Amino acid sequence: MKEFLKADGKRRRLWFGAPVVFVLLPIFIGEGWLSLFTEMMILALAACALNLMLGYAGMVSFGPAGLYAVGAYATAIFLKKAGLPFVLAMAAGPVAAGIVGAVVGWLCVRRTAVYFALLTLAFAQIIWTIVFEWYGFTGGDNGIVGIPVPAFLMSITHYYYFTLVLVVTALTLLWRIGNSPFGKILQAIRENPGRTEFVGIHVRRYQLYAFILSSAFLGLAGSLFCAFSRSVFPGYAHWIKSTDMLVVCLLGGIHNFAGPIVGSVVYLYVSKLISSYTMYWMLFLGIIVVLLVLYMRGGIMGYLSEKFLSERGELQEKGAGEKA
Amino acid sequence: MTIQVLAWQALSGLSVGMVLFLIAAGLSIIFGALNVLNLAHGSIYMVGAFICYSLTSTFAHLAGVFWWTLILAPIATALLGGLIEIVLLRRIYAQEMLYQYILTFGLILILGELCKLVWGVGYNTVAVPWPLTGSVSIMALPFPAYNLFLIGCGIAVFVGLWAFMRYTGLGQIIRAVTHNREMVNALGINVPRVYTGVFMLGCWLAGLAGTLMPPMSVVALGADMEVIIGCFVIVVIGGLGSLPGAFIGSVILGLLTAFGIFVAPRLAVAFGFILMIIILLVRPWGLMGKPE
Repeated sequence: MKEFLKADGKRRRLWFGAPVVFVLLPIFIGEGWLSLFTEMMILALAACALNLMLGYAGMVSFGPAGLYAVGAYATAIFLKKAGLPFVLAMAAGPVAAGIVGAVVGWLCVRRTAVYFALLTLAFAQIIWTIVFEWYGFTGGDNGIVGIPVPAFLMSITHYYYFTLVLVVTALTLLWRIGNSPFGKILQAIRENPGRTEFVGIHVRRYQLYAFILSSAFLGLAGSLFCAFSRSVFPGYAHWIKSTDMLVVCLLGGIHNFAGPIVGSVVYLYVSKLISSYTMYWMLFLGIIVVLLVLYMRGGIMGYLSEKFLSERGELQEKGAGEKA
Repeated sequence: MTIQVLAWQALSGLSVGMVLFLIAAGLSIIFGALNVLNLAHGSIYMVGAFICYSLTSTFAHLAGVFWWTLILAPIATALLGGLIEIVLLRRIYAQEMLYQYILTFGLILILGELCKLVWGVGYNTVAVPWPLTGSVSIMALPFPAYNLFLIGCGIAVFVGLWAFMRYTGLGQIIRAVTHNREMVNALGINVPRVYTGVFMLGCWLAGLAGTLMPPMSVVALGADMEVIIGCFVIVVIGGLGSLPGAFIGSVILGLLTAFGIFVAPRLAVAFGFILMIIILLVRPWGLMGKPE
C-alpha cells in the first residue's frame, strides 16, 4: 500500500491495473464472491453519496436510507406495476430520489447541526412509515418481490458488469464533483459556514445542491440494489439502515474520497466473515463501532494516510537536517 | 363515537405516553447536562424490562415480588448506566455529535445482543401485580387499573423530578451544569461526577419505565428500537433538555397516536414525525425550551 502511494510510476500502474483486475475478476472467483463484490460496489456508491454531505459539506444526516429507499421503490414500482422498460425504470430511481431530496433538503437546510440531523431522521421515518403502511402501493411490510429484470441481467456475472459500469461512472462523477470548484465551496462551508457566507456564497443554496446530488446518487444505489436482489423491503428506509451507512463512512474515513469505498468493502467482508462463525455478529459489530469511535476516528483511510504522511514528514525533516 | 370512547382512548394513549415520558425525561436530562444524544437509552429500558421479567419469574413465590422489583431493577440499570458513562461516554464529550451518535449506536448493538445471549429471542410476559389486577369503570366502560396506575406514576415522577431540579441543591447544580459547565467547574464542583450522576439518573428512569411496562405489554427483543425514536420525537416536541417539555411532549404524542388512529389508522405513527418536523422548522428549541 505504502509503495503504491509513494512511487508515481507504480501508482500509474495501479490506475491501469485496477480496471483489468475488476474486468477479469469473474473468471477467477465463484458466484458467491461475485455477488458479495456487487453488493460492496452498491454500498460503496451509497456511502460515497452520503459522504458528499457528511465528509465534504459537513452536513450530518441521520436519514440517508430514506432516499436510498425512494430510489429502490421507484425502480421496483415502475418495473413491477407500470411495466416500464428497464432503462427508464433504472433512471427513475435517481430522478425520484433527487426530487424527494430537493423537497426534503429545501426544508432541512433551514437548520444546522443536531437540528438538521433530527430533521433528516424525521423525514426518513416518514418515508419508512409510508412504505411500511401503504399496502396497495408499496406492498407494506411484505415488500415487493419478484421484480422482473431483463433476461441478460439474470446472471450474476452480467449483473456484476452492469453494476461495475454504473458504479464506476457514478463514483467518477462524485469524485469530479468533490474536486470541482463546487466541491471546494462545500468544503469551505464545512470548515466555516460563517466566513463562506461573508465571501458572498449562499451557504444554504449550496447545501441544498449537495443534498439533492447526494440524494440522486443514493437513489441510484437503491435502484441498483433493487434490481440486484429483485425485491424491496421497508427495511431499506429504516433508521438502522441509515446508521449502517454512517458506520460504513466512519469505518473507511469521512475525510477521504476513498474512505467510504474502503469502509464498505471492509464492512461487508468482516460481516460475512464473522457471521459465518457466530449468530451474534451484531455484538462484534457493536464492539468494532465503539473501538472505532474511541481510537480511530479518522477511519481506515485516516489511519493509513496519517501513518504514511507522518513517516514522510519525518523523512523530509531528516532530509532538511542533512542539507543544513 | 361517544364521549366514553373518547375518554377511554385518551386514557390509554396517556398510559403509553407516561411510560414513554419516563424514558424521554432521562434522555432529555442527559442531553441537557451532557449534550449527548443517547441512542442507547431505549436499550437501557429494554434491559430494565428483562431484569423485571427475570426477577418476577425467579422469585414468583414471594408475595409482592413486583414491588421489590420496582425498587431493584431501576437501581441495576442505574449502575449499568454509571459503568457505561465512566468507561465509554466520558471519553467522547469533546467530540462531534456524529461520533457520539455512532458510539451510542454501537451500544445499542452490544446491549441488544447481550440481551439475546442472556434472555433468548422468546416473548415473555409479566403478570399484572396485586392489587392492580382488576379494572376501573370510567364512565361505564371498564379501564385496566394498572394503566391508571401508570398514569399516576408518570405524573408523580414528573412532579418529583421537577421539585428535585427546582428545590434541592443537587438539582440546582445539574441545572447550572446545563447552563454553563465551565463556570460550575470553576466554582469547585466536580463536574465529571455530576455527569455520571445525571447519566445514572437518566438510566434509573429508563429502568423504571422498563419495569413498569411489562405487565401492560410483553418483554421481547426489539423493544429498544421501538421506543427510542418515539422518545426522540417527544424530546424534540418539548424541547431538547427541558423536563416539562418532555412531559408535555409525551402527553401530546400519546394523545396524537391514540386519536390519530381514528383519522388515519395506517399513518398514525407518521403524525408524530410530522409534528416533529413542524416544531424543528418553526420552533427548534421546542414548546417548553428557551431559544439559545
